[in-house]
Amino acid sequence: MQARLFTLATLPYTAIALCSLLIAACAGNGEGLDANGRPLTPGGAAPPPLSADFESLQANIFTPICSVCHVGGSAPEGLRLDADNAYNLLVGVPSTEVPSVLRVKPGDPDNSYIIQKLEGHAAVGKQMPFGCPTSQPCLPTTTIAFVRQWITNGAPAAAASADVTAHLAIKAIVPDSAEPVAGSPPQIMVAFNRDLDVSQLATHTVHIEKLAPGAAPVVTEKLSARISMPEGNLRALLIWPSRPLSVGHYRVVIDAESSASFSDTAGQSVSVGAPDELGASVLSTFDVEVVP
Amino acid sequence: MIQRLTLAALVLAALAVLRAAPASAEPYLAVTTGYKCNVCHVNPTGGGLRNDFGITYAKVLLPAETVDNALDSWTGKITDRLRVGGDLRADWTRTTAPNSPSQQAFSLDQVRVYADLTLIPDRLGIYVDEQIAPDGSQNEEAYVRYGSTTDGFYVKGGQFYLPYGWRLQDQTAFVREVTGISMATPDKGIELGYEHAAWSAQFDVTNGIANASSGSGYQVTTQVVYTKQIWRLGIAGSSTKSDAGDRHMGGLFAGLKTGPIAWLAEGDIVHDDSFPGGRTLAAALLEGDIRIRQGHNLKLTAEYSDPDRSVQNDQQTRYSIVYEYTPLPFLQVRAGYRHYFGIPQNDQQHQQLVLFELHGFF
Repeated sequence: MQARLFTLATLPYTAIALCSLLIAACAGNGEGLDANGRPLTPGGAAPPPLSADFESLQANIFTPICSVCHVGGSAPEGLRLDADNAYNLLVGVPSTEVPSVLRVKPGDPDNSYIIQKLEGHAAVGKQMPFGCPTSQPCLPTTTIAFVRQWITNGAPAAAASADVTAHLAIKAIVPDSAEPVAGSPPQIMVAFNRDLDVSQLATHTVHIEKLAPGAAPVVTEKLSARISMPEGNLRALLIWPSRPLSVGHYRVVIDAESSASFSDTAGQSVSVGAPDELGASVLSTFDVEVVP
Repeated sequence: MIQRLTLAALVLAALAVLRAAPASAEPYLAVTTGYKCNVCHVNPTGGGLRNDFGITYAKVLLPAETVDNALDSWTGKITDRLRVGGDLRADWTRTTAPNSPSQQAFSLDQVRVYADLTLIPDRLGIYVDEQIAPDGSQNEEAYVRYGSTTDGFYVKGGQFYLPYGWRLQDQTAFVREVTGISMATPDKGIELGYEHAAWSAQFDVTNGIANASSGSGYQVTTQVVYTKQIWRLGIAGSSTKSDAGDRHMGGLFAGLKTGPIAWLAEGDIVHDDSFPGGRTLAAALLEGDIRIRQGHNLKLTAEYSDPDRSVQNDQQTRYSIVYEYTPLPFLQVRAGYRHYFGIPQNDQQHQQLVLFELHGFF
């Protein structure tokens, strides 16, 4: 059966097909949007050219490509790669898939999990960006080279984040009460605006409390936790629960015998934690929900 | 002829060595023939392992030239109760995007094996779809099936693909990405199905893709399709309850045969509360498959995606042209070009993709 089915008589159909395809809707012109397709905030600007500094990597890679998935409470592996959280959840933080390997190990790109994931030779999971190379392109080697170079340079924070004039303060806590986290967070990250004094870290201890539903704080469970600082990042603290957290409402509480103030390398200090009606000094509260 | 037989034998031998598994769905074939999915596939919602008729179609009606002898005896059946199949897709792709060096690579896109064990004929069976490469072994579908998948009610329990819209071969189609339901996202739960005459319907209760590794939340999905000889119309809906944010979607899809062209269309709208403040997304697909002659298919596709209905100027489109040549039974060569269009400030939304694919199946 070799019937020739494509004849002149069928051309009108073909023409209809082609015309229909051509008149399909057009892409947006991007006016008023950032590179991620989101509305520009006042003062928003085009991303800087790709270079081996974190601001450029954030604007050209993490925000437009990675944070499509790695954002919010359901970010895979708890890794949020939006501009507010990427640095403090990358640099010096153990990966969740292979905890012995840091996501970014300053000075050592080969042993940085992000490089292994981008290059496709990580021990666990798929190459990133997810779906490459079949459904979207992998990052070009030349682009990854900028990430490598940034790590080789010690993975410094964005120059714009240096806030030498401001008083020491907490910039962010992830997770926090603003957005529930999907599944047990690997760690609670507390970001500061200035470099902390590492020598005082030993004077700080915290624990985590699980609260019963309701307005009044009723502690149903108390978990120990340890504090560490990411390797190569003096502007963040990592609080590690002693075991995974089940679904529920939690708060991070500064131990009664612990210092409630943190100091930076310039000697400034800031008190953290807000006392509640039980007298506990609460650093943050958050909800653990489901893992997507 | 001898050369072709040798080639076919080599392909089958290679597939046997690799334990490859069958093709993803190609719903344009269903529109072309006017058949329901269960006419050619063991799975009543299409895709995966072919049944006796599907194998015959693949041997006789799909390729440009049929091949006799060894292939004639192949039905996919190892025994009266056990049927197997395989699919291997090896690609060469070249991807370019503005301001980035182009990438090109050979890749093993997919090696899958299928098996269906009939425990009680026409009543009870077990179906397995296992992807064995790349990225190691991964179970896609594994379910127990009770009832008739050809006329009457049936129940599935286990892990399976959700019935929603066109089960396209291209899992990266906008309508599949926006809905999150594709042949890359199986879910665990139960499915109640009904097949009778022109009607095909499914009702699924599953964990929900967003709740894959948690113990809470659920997804309810339903689809109804009415199939006639030259057209069909389907409606699908799905609702996911999740602590990470509820997600609701609905879609219409249709097929129409006009002369040598099989048309496929689908439109979906999704409201997703997992985004802060909620977000409504939309996607549409229009595909025309032109049967040049037997064994030759030209696939033209136009797609549209609006990632946030409340935001202006953020729409994306994608156009594809793919030529599919099936010279022999169980062997297909595909060559295609795809161009993405999006907002000018995002280079990744302006990719161009050139694809060559060798697709073996049995």
